[in-house]
Parts: sequence; structure tokens; C-alpha cells
Amino acid sequence: MNNREVFSVLGIFDSAQSLMRAIPEVKSGAAAKLEAYTPYPVHGLDEALGLRKSPIAGMVLVMAVIGSIAALGLEFWTSGVDYPQVTAGKPYFSWEAFVPIMFELTVLFAAFTAGLGMLLLLNRLPFFRHPMLAARSMPLITRDKFALAVEAGGKTIDVEEISALLRDSGAASVEVVESPPVHGLASPRFFFRVLIAIAIACCVAGYATYWAMKLFPKAIPMVHMLDQPRLGPQQGNTFFTDGSGMRMPVEGTVSRISIPYTVDEQEDPSAMGNPLPRTAPVLGRGRQLFNDYCSVCHGILGNGETTLTAAYEAKPTNLLSKNIAALTDGSMYHVIMKGKNSMPSYSADLSQDERWAVLHYVRVLQRALDAKDEDVSSAQKE
Amino acid sequence: MKPEAVLEKLKPAPVITGHVRLGDLDDQLLTPVGEKPPLAWFIAFAMTSTATLIGMALIGYTIATGIGVWGNNIPVAWAFDIINFVFWVGIGHAGTLISAILLLFRARWRNGVSRFAEAMTIFAVICATLFPLIHVGRPWLAFWLGPYPNQRGIWPNFRSPLLWDVFAVNTYFLVSLLFWYIGLIPDIASMRDRAANKIRKFVYSALSLGWRGASRHWRHYEKAYLIIAGLATGLVLSVHSVVSFDFAVSLVPGWHMTIFPPYFVAGAIFAGFAMVVMAMVVVRRTMRLEHLITDYHLEVMNKVILACSCLMGYAYLLEGFTAWYSMNDYIHHTFLQYIFGTYWWAGWLTITCNILIPQLLWFKWFRTKYFGMIFVSLSVTVGMWFERFVIIVSSLHEDFLPSSWHIYMPTYVDYGILLGSFGLFFTLVLLFARVLPVIATTEMKMVLPGSQPHREGGSHE
Repeated sequence: MNNREVFSVLGIFDSAQSLMRAIPEVKSGAAAKLEAYTPYPVHGLDEALGLRKSPIAGMVLVMAVIGSIAALGLEFWTSGVDYPQVTAGKPYFSWEAFVPIMFELTVLFAAFTAGLGMLLLLNRLPFFRHPMLAARSMPLITRDKFALAVEAGGKTIDVEEISALLRDSGAASVEVVESPPVHGLASPRFFFRVLIAIAIACCVAGYATYWAMKLFPKAIPMVHMLDQPRLGPQQGNTFFTDGSGMRMPVEGTVSRISIPYTVDEQEDPSAMGNPLPRTAPVLGRGRQLFNDYCSVCHGILGNGETTLTAAYEAKPTNLLSKNIAALTDGSMYHVIMKGKNSMPSYSADLSQDERWAVLHYVRVLQRALDAKDEDVSSAQKE
Repeated sequence: MKPEAVLEKLKPAPVITGHVRLGDLDDQLLTPVGEKPPLAWFIAFAMTSTATLIGMALIGYTIATGIGVWGNNIPVAWAFDIINFVFWVGIGHAGTLISAILLLFRARWRNGVSRFAEAMTIFAVICATLFPLIHVGRPWLAFWLGPYPNQRGIWPNFRSPLLWDVFAVNTYFLVSLLFWYIGLIPDIASMRDRAANKIRKFVYSALSLGWRGASRHWRHYEKAYLIIAGLATGLVLSVHSVVSFDFAVSLVPGWHMTIFPPYFVAGAIFAGFAMVVMAMVVVRRTMRLEHLITDYHLEVMNKVILACSCLMGYAYLLEGFTAWYSMNDYIHHTFLQYIFGTYWWAGWLTITCNILIPQLLWFKWFRTKYFGMIFVSLSVTVGMWFERFVIIVSSLHEDFLPSSWHIYMPTYVDYGILLGSFGLFFTLVLLFARVLPVIATTEMKMVLPGSQPHREGGSHE
């Protein structure tokens, strides 16, 4: 015998009955840990070997409860708190509608606890270096033979004596299993190599993808709805005789929403007054439009401070300053129409009423900086 | 008749015929795996993979062009894709029923057919999930269905049956896969120890996770397997109920009925068993497993089909009764559409194939002869597909507003993708039969006579 440690001594039995008969005998004869290896679960083997009951049921119960609470919490928090939606007039905590998914997640959590908990946690699998896997009788065990192993458990055991004991109690043959095994495919070095190969493959694939994207930037993998069979503005087209894709309005067409703006640079626009009433809907519309179009440069507060200011070193006008506040509505309207300095014209983006609504809101912003006592209602004062 | 004779008659038939030893099972079931398949296999594989490729090409065409290439349009917004989805999910249910519910009932005959039926479940659910995925139009954005924190600041609607469906089908797939894999581990360990080829040995080693059959492992394994079976039992009942909620929770006449969940579950098991019977006949004949999948197995499965057929008949009658009793013109109209409308032939085909033809199984000849059971199973498969056609298309094509009534006609793309899904299913089945054992050898060893110490002679447990 070489100097490798003995892991266990195996007695091979021909049937489940002879294995069961041998267990009490071997148990009393050898003061070492016993383990049986069988091709299928043999009933009564646990009690014969004196094994505890499996704790898996308790684990599953705990995880099932966690699964259902997690599902209910997720459903209530998302559709009742973070993104509240009213569906069919039901309250936010409409738990009845949450039951199906609670059930599914309970089953999911419980089943995976049972499956993976059994494999990974209780059975400590995958484990490819177990000495038994290198045993000569392993192919017999997974086929039709039954083995009883007397395990050394780190100590030295008397191989001869145990072999004799196993033979006496009915074993057809006896095998001494050594540890650790030298096993090509299951050796740690092999798995280490596989891991390194996977890591190298990932790096190569990553670099290849990176360079492919860099060298062929035009290859857009997902076009979503960019590819649309329609004409863009100013695009030519052979359908109409004039070769243009765009159509002019029918002769004599009159715009219903705007009147021609006739004020030019020489004239004084300051006489124009704001035609819109100062009502809550108008101011609300004005705020919306200001935030959409103006706040990008002028800032949400109108003070000319936005992230753009720092990023582009631009200096948009502070709409709250004294000289801007002194301008009439008409002069400011003219700026929106014609633009000033870096500011382009917004005549195409905002309709006539929208421009005036924005100006009302700008006045509100200016007033907010310099609020008067009468701006606060009597109720709020108290 | 004497009481003893009655008892003798009531005793279940043996689940294995002839004298089989433990090792013989491995030799017979694990040897064909990985060997060069017979010519018939290659012919079948060529046919199924061609069908799969046709389906894949048409799916590619659909995704590149848009789902306008299908025949469905308002008001028939759901047509072939949802019919096929419900059909395939239903096929899968027989596998879970056989492997989980019959395990809990200790029906020992299940051990012979469970592995194959479970594999069919997984392949059927793969075929089923394909359809909603391509119906969303942009399948690469299908992850939007999941609840994950996103920059849009929105969450999916947890009160929608369609979202319940996402959770139910995904859970079903994952749990079925887990159940199947855990059942396979001891068999894969046997294959590992038989494999001579180095690559095959490595693959089976890795898949078996180093299983060594220790009693300390079996103890947890058996318990966990039983628990997952119990969970899968609840799951199989819930999944098709949730699928039926897609219809029943809406307000469409013909869909808004409380009978739908049990009706769908019974129909799913019905269609699934028909598919299992057809597949088992082929497997049994070609792999010469007559002594493991016995006449008794086939007869029992045919009896399940007969029972489900009667349940379906009850459900159809109740559908008519509900329509009449509702005193609602719209529901009356929809029900009359089923049997006298544009698609009257589909309605009568459903009734003939699902209710009338399976009644032949009352005769023992049809339950035990290949021709009889294949004929009935084929008719059930066709009938169950058309049942979903009737439920979806006949209910939708004449909705509340007569101006939008529309006769639905499928296009060649619809037919091609349906063909492709059958191709995919059978391709996967054929591949499975070549790389993994079609019968759970470990479970069969457990029920062999004399395999358990306290039950010498293999008496019934």
C-alpha cells in the first residue's frame, strides 16, 4: 500500500436487503462513521444508519413566507406608493388583485429553496473531488450495487479488520478508497484552467465587441422605429409634378391662430399690451411653457443660472434684474419674436397666446423676488 | 363474486411486465443515449428542423417588418399568437400533472412516463413563451414587463392579468426546469459512470454535480423532491387559471365567466395527456420499451383523457347555460356566434373532436390499440387548438360596435409560425431522446419488484 491516506473501506452488496441486514452488525463492530451508497433511495436506510430528519421542510416554509411577503410588499409599494395607479376605482391597497403574483412568488421562492437548498446547502454539491468519485466501484453503485462505507474520518483505521467485518456481514467484495484522489477531469487544476479559459474568452469577446462598435459605428443593431417609410421636410419626391414632397396650402388659406407680426427693428414695440387675463389657467400654461422652452437657459427661477451656464460659459440674461423688470410686456414680446444676442427667435415654437402666457409667468417670477405685503392672503398671514 | 375475487380485480396491474433486473434498466435505457441514431431518427429530425427553420424565418420576417404581416387586427387583436400560447401552455400541464400530482398520490405507474412528460412540459412552455414574446413586436424590449427600477419612474401594473401571466408562466418554467433537473441528477450520474468518451464524461460529470448516491444525500433529496412536487401541484392549477384570467377578468362577452379557470385547467390536462399518449406510443415502439411503458400505462392515460373529455362536455354545456341565463343580448349573440356564426365549423369541430370522439374510449379496444388511441389523441389535439380559436376569434370578431365587425383570416405567416412551433417542440423532443434517458431509470429502480427491503415481492405500497 502506498502512503496515501485511507478515506474509507467499502463493502459492496448485491441487494438492498443484504445491505440492510449488514448495517447493525457493522455498526456494532466498527466504531467509525458509516455511510451507505445506493443507486436509488432505499427506504428505512436513514433510521438504520441513525440519520437525523432532513431540515429542508422548515427552510422551505420560512422562504415561502418571505416570498409571499416580498411579493405583497413589492406590489403594494410599486402600484400604491411609488407609482400610484387607480385601476377600476379600486383602492391603492387592493390586495385581492395582488394574490396571483403573491402565490407565484411564494411557489418560486419555496421551490428554489427546496431545490437549491438541498443541492448546495445540505448536500454540498457540486463537489467533484470527493474520494468516492474515484472509487472503482462507483460505476457499480450508480448501476445496481449497494455499498456500505466505514469512513476513517481523518483517523487511521484498521483496514484488514474492517474488511473482514464487512465480508462477514455479507459483502460480496471490499474496496479500500484512498484520499485525495488524482482524477483528471475533476482535479482542481483542471477547473482552474477552465475558469482561466472562460475569463480569457470574456476578455477577448469584450475587446472584440468594443473595437467592432468603434470601427463600425454605423452598424446600429436595433433601429427601433427610426426606419420609417415617410418623407422628411424638404425631401424630394416624384409623386407630385413639382418634384417636392412638401405641399403648399391651398390658395387663399388664412391662418386661424396667428396674425402677421409687422413690428420691425425700427419701430417701438413697447406700446403692445398683454391681451391675456391674469388667471390661474393662463399662468399655469405660462409656467409649463417657460419650464419647457425658456428654463433651459434662463433657469427655472428665471435668474439665468442653469447647468448650461457652467458648461458653456454662457451668460443668459437674468430675467429678475431691475432693467429687465422695467421693460414693458411689448418689448419683451418683441425679444421672443425676433431674438436678441445669442437668443434665437421663438416665433416658430410658441404661438401668439403662448408667448403672452409666458410673459405673464415671467412677471410672476419677478414679483416673487420682490413680494408685497398684499400678495399674501389674509388666511396665510395667520 | 367472492370478496377475494373482487379485491383481486381491483388490484392495479404491475407497472413493469416481465423479469427486469436493476442493471438491465441501465443497459436498455442509457445505452441508446449518445449512440448513432437509426435512420428513422434522422428522417424525423430533418422534417422537424425544417419546420423549425420555416418558423424561425417567418418570425424574423415578422420582427423585421412588424406584426402587421399577421392577419390579426382590431377587433380580433388576439388571434394565432394567443391561441398558440394557450395551446402550448396547456400541453405542458400534463407533464407536471404526471410528475407532481401523481407522485403525491403515489401512483406508481407515473415513474415510467414522468421523465418524458416533464421534458415535454419544458419544451411546450418554451414554444408557448415564444408567442407573447413576438406579439409584443419588439421582443428585445420584453424586459419592460419585469418590475425593475428604471429612469422612466414607472412600474408595471400589478392589477393586470397580463402581468400575472408573465409571473405565472415564468415561475412555471423555472420550477418545471428545476424539478426536471433534480430528477435527472442521479440518472446523469449513471450516465457519467458509463461514459467512455472523454468529452461526454466531462459534460455528464459537470451536470451530475458530483452526485455519488450517498444516503445522507438521498435523505434530503427525497424530501426536497416531494416538496417541489407539492409546490408544482399548486402551480399547475394556478398557471392555467391565470392564463384564463387573461380572458375572464376582461368584460368581453363569452370571456367574462367564472367557469373559465377550472375549464381551462381541465382542457390543459386533456390536451396534454393526448400529446403524451401520442409521444409515448412512438417512444415505446421505436425504443422497444413495451415492458416498461406497458399497456396498463396507456390504458390509464386514456382513462384520464376520457374523464377530462367529460369535464369539457360539462364546461361547454355550462357555457351555453350561462349565456342563456345571463339574459344579456351581447352574451347571447356571442354564444350563437360559436355555433351558428361565421366560424360555426370551428365550434362544431371543437365539440366533435373534444366531446364526441373521445367517448370511443369507453370501449377497451380504443384504450388499448395503437390505432384507436392515436386517432382519439389526434382528434383531441386538433379539437383543443380549435377550442381556443373559438374562444378567441369567435368572441372577438363581432364585438359591441357593429361598424367594427371584421372577419379574421390568418396569413401564411401565421400558419408558418404555428408549423414552426410544432417543429421546435418535436426537434427538442428528438434531441432530448438522444442525450438524456427518456425514462427516469432511478425512479424505475425504486419500483422494481424486490428493490425495497421491507417489500419483498414488490407488493403495492
